[in-house]
Amino acid sequence: MKEQLEALRTRALGELETLNDPTALEDFRVRFLGKKGEVTGLLRGMGALPAEERPQMGQLINQLRNELESALTQREQNITALLKQKRLQDEKLDVTLPGKAKKQGGLHPLNIVLNDLIDIFQSMGFDVVDGPEVETEHYCFEALNVPKDHPARDMQDTFYLAENLLLRTQTSAAQARTMEQRKPPIRIICPGRVFRADEVDATHSPVFHQVEGLVVDKGITLCDLKGVLEQFAHEIYGPETEVKFRPSFFPFTEPSVEVDVTCSECGGKGCRVCKGTGWIEILGAGMVHPRVLAGCGIDPEEYTGFAFGIGLDRLTTTRYKISDIRLLFENDQRFLDQF
Amino acid sequence: MKISLNWLKRYVDIPVSVEELCDKMILSGFEVESIEDLSATMSNVVAARILKLEKHPDADKLQICQMDVGAAEPIQIITGAQNVFEGALVPAALHDSHLPNGMHIKRGKLRGLPSDGMLCSGEELCLKEADYPGAEVYGILILNEDVPAGTDMREILHLNDIVIDFKITANRPDCQSVLGVAREIAVVLGQEFRAPQPTYTTIGDDIHNYIDIEVRNYDLCPRYMGRIVRNLRIKPSPDWMKDCLKTAGVRAINNVVDITNFVMLETGQPMHAFDLRDIRGNQIIVRTATEGEPITTLDGKDHTLSADMLVIADGEAPSCLAGIMGGLNSEIKDDTTALLFECAKFRRDSVRRTARTLGMRTESSARFEKGVDIGTVGYAMDRALQLIQELDAGDIVEGVIDRHEGLPEPRVLQVEADSINALLGVDVPHDTMVDILNRLEIETTLKDGVLTCRVPSFRDDVEGRADLAEEVMRIYGYDHIVSTPMTGSIVRGKLLPERRYTDLLKHVLIGQGMQEISTYSFISAKALDTLSLAADDARRQTVTLLNPLGEEYSVMRSQLITSMLTVLATNYNRKNEAVRFFEVSKLFRPLSLPLTEQPEEIPALSIGLYGKEEDFFSLKGIVETLLANFGVNANYVRSDEPYLHPGRQAAVTVGDTVIGTFGEVHPDTAQAYDMDTRVYVAELRLQPLFEAIEKVRVLYKPLPRFPAVERDLALLCDEELPVADIQKTIAKAGGKLLETVTLFDVYQGAQIAAGKKSVAFSLYFRSAEGTLSDADIDPVLAKIFARLEEKGCTLRT
Repeated sequence: MKEQLEALRTRALGELETLNDPTALEDFRVRFLGKKGEVTGLLRGMGALPAEERPQMGQLINQLRNELESALTQREQNITALLKQKRLQDEKLDVTLPGKAKKQGGLHPLNIVLNDLIDIFQSMGFDVVDGPEVETEHYCFEALNVPKDHPARDMQDTFYLAENLLLRTQTSAAQARTMEQRKPPIRIICPGRVFRADEVDATHSPVFHQVEGLVVDKGITLCDLKGVLEQFAHEIYGPETEVKFRPSFFPFTEPSVEVDVTCSECGGKGCRVCKGTGWIEILGAGMVHPRVLAGCGIDPEEYTGFAFGIGLDRLTTTRYKISDIRLLFENDQRFLDQF
Repeated sequence: MKISLNWLKRYVDIPVSVEELCDKMILSGFEVESIEDLSATMSNVVAARILKLEKHPDADKLQICQMDVGAAEPIQIITGAQNVFEGALVPAALHDSHLPNGMHIKRGKLRGLPSDGMLCSGEELCLKEADYPGAEVYGILILNEDVPAGTDMREILHLNDIVIDFKITANRPDCQSVLGVAREIAVVLGQEFRAPQPTYTTIGDDIHNYIDIEVRNYDLCPRYMGRIVRNLRIKPSPDWMKDCLKTAGVRAINNVVDITNFVMLETGQPMHAFDLRDIRGNQIIVRTATEGEPITTLDGKDHTLSADMLVIADGEAPSCLAGIMGGLNSEIKDDTTALLFECAKFRRDSVRRTARTLGMRTESSARFEKGVDIGTVGYAMDRALQLIQELDAGDIVEGVIDRHEGLPEPRVLQVEADSINALLGVDVPHDTMVDILNRLEIETTLKDGVLTCRVPSFRDDVEGRADLAEEVMRIYGYDHIVSTPMTGSIVRGKLLPERRYTDLLKHVLIGQGMQEISTYSFISAKALDTLSLAADDARRQTVTLLNPLGEEYSVMRSQLITSMLTVLATNYNRKNEAVRFFEVSKLFRPLSLPLTEQPEEIPALSIGLYGKEEDFFSLKGIVETLLANFGVNANYVRSDEPYLHPGRQAAVTVGDTVIGTFGEVHPDTAQAYDMDTRVYVAELRLQPLFEAIEKVRVLYKPLPRFPAVERDLALLCDEELPVADIQKTIAKAGGKLLETVTLFDVYQGAQIAAGKKSVAFSLYFRSAEGTLSDADIDPVLAKIFARLEEKGCTLRT
């Protein structure tokens, strides 16, 4: 019987080596280790043995069973590993094929830049307010120290809607509205759309956008204005940017300044962008005119303030090097996709 | 203001380069628009004398000239001109010279003989008869000069000058003059300012023998001054004056007219000269015109005046439009023998209105509009008379008529010096302030820390502390302004709720793959027709611009759809295959027409899409997602917008309010925009969204602990029955065990009777108390079936 057992072992292990798929292994298990399998058959055949040989023989058969079971498990594991390996091999992809992307939406470039500005000024404690696009002459001009027939009104060609109603030519119109509604300390920016009767060309648009800034408090100085604008310039144009004031004139500020920053293109060395000067004019600003403060019921002896107006469209076209402002309002998908 | 450097140098030394001068002027508040070197157009052209003239051996028309050009040896130049002669002084362009007409002259050979340059005609030097006598004669320009050969032609033609165009800000009308700018330059460069001090003598006599002057409207003409000059000797002005006028672009006419122009440019005070013969009744009356009164101005144009226009009239009729232009009848003529000089201040808004109304703009009106100083009137008159004497143009009659209602005293300001520093945030020494202000002719003294400033009348813009601070600082230097960080509250700035909600809205839409656009707020009035809006549609009540750039930008938009369609069309025509756009902007709704108050500005959203993936439901999906994010509980009902497909459009309602509509664009409207594809648009008002999200409070709900039971339901119903109705019926009948009802199929066609449709839903039942059994669900289903049957639905089995 021992020989029979030995032969079975050799045959079973030999066969196991040749099996390569899970079905064959199951078949193997049934044929050898199942209830009617050959190993079980050996156990049944033990009845024919003398009683004293049975324990030993039973032990051998159980050994064989254990041995085959563990070989089978081993084989199973090997095959699984092999199959997995093969599957992984077969599933190799050309990773250079394009991804499945959903089309991404996006903000208009003007609003991307505006959001940056809002963030910068919010962090400096500026509230963001709003004002109407259709304004009265009072808020757009008179309250800003530009009386009727004043030559300063020549500086901006205004769209009129009625005797006293116009499309605001500047977000500065929000100054007086704000000062009437809030008491100092005031620290606001007012972004918005403004209108001037400029014929459309590569650098002019009758519709454009500004961000007005206004600070009113006790002891506000021209140096504070420079501090705020320097912070703004550093965030927008980079930390190395220098800010320069040049005297200028706006009816609603006194002193008034034009603000230049070192050209971000050449770092101030002079190039085509800055026309060789090393400086780029970015905005107009100044200390709020005492008459503007007084007109809003704020005592100019007690309070001072500054105001500034940033041209959003220009900031946007310079940031992205957009050569023609009309592109901003044409809204070609291929243009908008770039931002 | 274009000003020549040579002219400026009559009043101030300029010991620095033009570039340095301009830099310093820019930093003190005078932008430089351009610098024009008048000599730059011509180089290497000299006055040369013809020593010897010979015929060219091989050309009949050419002559060989031996020329003295101031060099050791004569040079040879060949010319084709016939008017040259030995001994003549002529302009010679030497080798490698440039002419104003763009020619570049080089040494060359003419018919085999060398020519070292070219003799020039007046035309080749771009000269007119007025620039140089004989300049328009055919042939070489024969110079009438007593200068050595070799003298640079630029010197002879007075081209050695530089014209700087300064941009004068509106607060500095005093600098619309050479003297005003010279004064600034003197301060900036620390040089002495030498303003002319006019003196002259009269021949006696009395002005009152000639003229009487009456001002009837002192409000429009605060000052009017007249002087008489007799025995006029009208002739051309001297070169220096012609040169000055030429740099300013003013044509020289004769000594008298040139003096009025020169004085205007020099002092900023416009002047006028009347031929005394033509002043009828020996009187000048400054008055407003009578309605419809006619006048013919110097330029030969006829005008009809209105009652608010100021004129200078004689005893009979208007002779001048005050401050704008003289009349044709009283201008200075070659045989004029006596004149009346006018020097006046007219109110700027009056001049401005009249000039605008009549469509006129002159050097004079431009200056009056900017503001002329009442104090300069007398100075300018004296200066003109001084020049009359200097140029020997006539004899000055004794006496002046100076009409005004009192001249203003100089403004006196008292300001603490420290308060100027407080505004600036710098520490300008008090003595420095005093020095700067005095140099600007603002007479200033300092006592106990208080500045007392007497402001001259030409600096009417200096009214208080802020103005003095600016004067001090622009001379002291803005580079002294350091930057100080903001102090005070360190609270982050706040956004208005509307802005926060708009940001959220954009965020949601971008998440749907949508691109934001930006379009003009005004549109063509005709654009509304492309939407086929009814005549009484509220959107036809538009806010209209009084002075639009053109019809296409003439009304403020009352809807965003036409702008969106325009953008969609642009993209479609440029073959952009598919787009998803949105715009957040304002609608303008007049509260009354004609407009008497600010219109309502209504925040609104438009959406526009096309592309082969898009249909009505992709648009609706965007709208639903958006509204869900804002917690808006909306209903969708059929709508009847004329620009939308009649069967594929819906209104979004919240309660009883329609907040917007959306759908497929009507093919006729799409056609109007040249789009032959299906296009989808939506427009929503945003206020209801903002109001809804105000109320949204997000609270966590526990996740379900027990499994849901799913039942599918296939129904057969009339094809007109809206699915939303069925869904609502199921939801209502399902009670609280029914968690969700989801549509998964709508089908019409084979196996379905005509006029019917099959609709299938998935129903999920769940209880928080335990796993549901059939016994729990069956009664609920039975109730649902019953309600559906009432709606005419039958179960499909």
